[in-house]
Amino acid sequence: MKLVIGGYAQGKLNYVLQKYDMESCQIWDGGIPMNKSEQRGTVVINHLHYWIKSRIAKDGCPEEEILAFVENCPNCVLISDEVGNGIVSIEAFEREYRERTGRILVELAKKAEEVERVICGIGQKIK
Amino acid sequence: MMTLIIGGSGSGKSAYAEDYMISISEDRKKYYIATMQIYDEEGKRKVERHRMLRGGKGFSTIEQHVDIEKAAGKMEDGDRTALLECISNLTANEMFMEDVPGTEEVITEKIVGGIAALNRELTHLVIVSNNVFEDGNVYDNTTMVYIRAMGRINQKLAEMADEVVEVVVGIPLVVKQKCV
Repeated sequence: MKLVIGGYAQGKLNYVLQKYDMESCQIWDGGIPMNKSEQRGTVVINHLHYWIKSRIAKDGCPEEEILAFVENCPNCVLISDEVGNGIVSIEAFEREYRERTGRILVELAKKAEEVERVICGIGQKIK
Repeated sequence: MMTLIIGGSGSGKSAYAEDYMISISEDRKKYYIATMQIYDEEGKRKVERHRMLRGGKGFSTIEQHVDIEKAAGKMEDGDRTALLECISNLTANEMFMEDVPGTEEVITEKIVGGIAALNRELTHLVIVSNNVFEDGNVYDNTTMVYIRAMGRINQKLAEMADEVVEVVVGIPLVVKQKCV
């Protein structure tokens, strides 16, 4: 599993697609494939933070669900915005979303073979 | 010696800062300077979580919400290190202590001066600060003053620090390298 993070509109998906032969990539946007039969080639999950947000909104447990997915689908690239670098929101849900997304990314970074941070379309390998 | 550690919410900066403290403290007395004032259940849970993370790591906790230099007076004599967490709470406390919020100049000077005084009393001070600068939003005037004060304070502390580390998804990235 590889993790790619960075700010909004930094060209993260393009960066990934240039790096890993686009033909063999299967892209999911803001969602994860629920069963194995749906997975082919390199599974790229774009906008992982949107999926996390929707799981929190539905009282799901994105922490466990994403770890189970990664276990099941080791040939994957997870792409997420960094969402914690702002003023702490006055809205409780926003606070929870940012904190939980941050912690999920910390856990995924621990498990990842590689972590890259993309800025201006350029990736920096940080792990 | 001074180290500044910066990261966003949920970046893993606290866990990293604690491990860092343990690696540099050796047999010196380790203090944790807590700045957060508790107003509600969420604050209580946050403090509980941090206490749990620190549990068994041998920190003595000092509560110091404003006038940060006074934390030194609450420590035992001798060689000691401290982890100050965090600049965002300290800045908010100093700014909103009085009915009329302080200006960014006054707040910056007070906090930076206080930290410099505290640092002189310690073998090593590790400071945790928060990256509140990248959400691109424009807030009300008071919040903008707060953000600017935080920015100034971070810049001054980075200048004073021997080492500056940014924590990203739990991974330390060295922004200012310690001279060996």
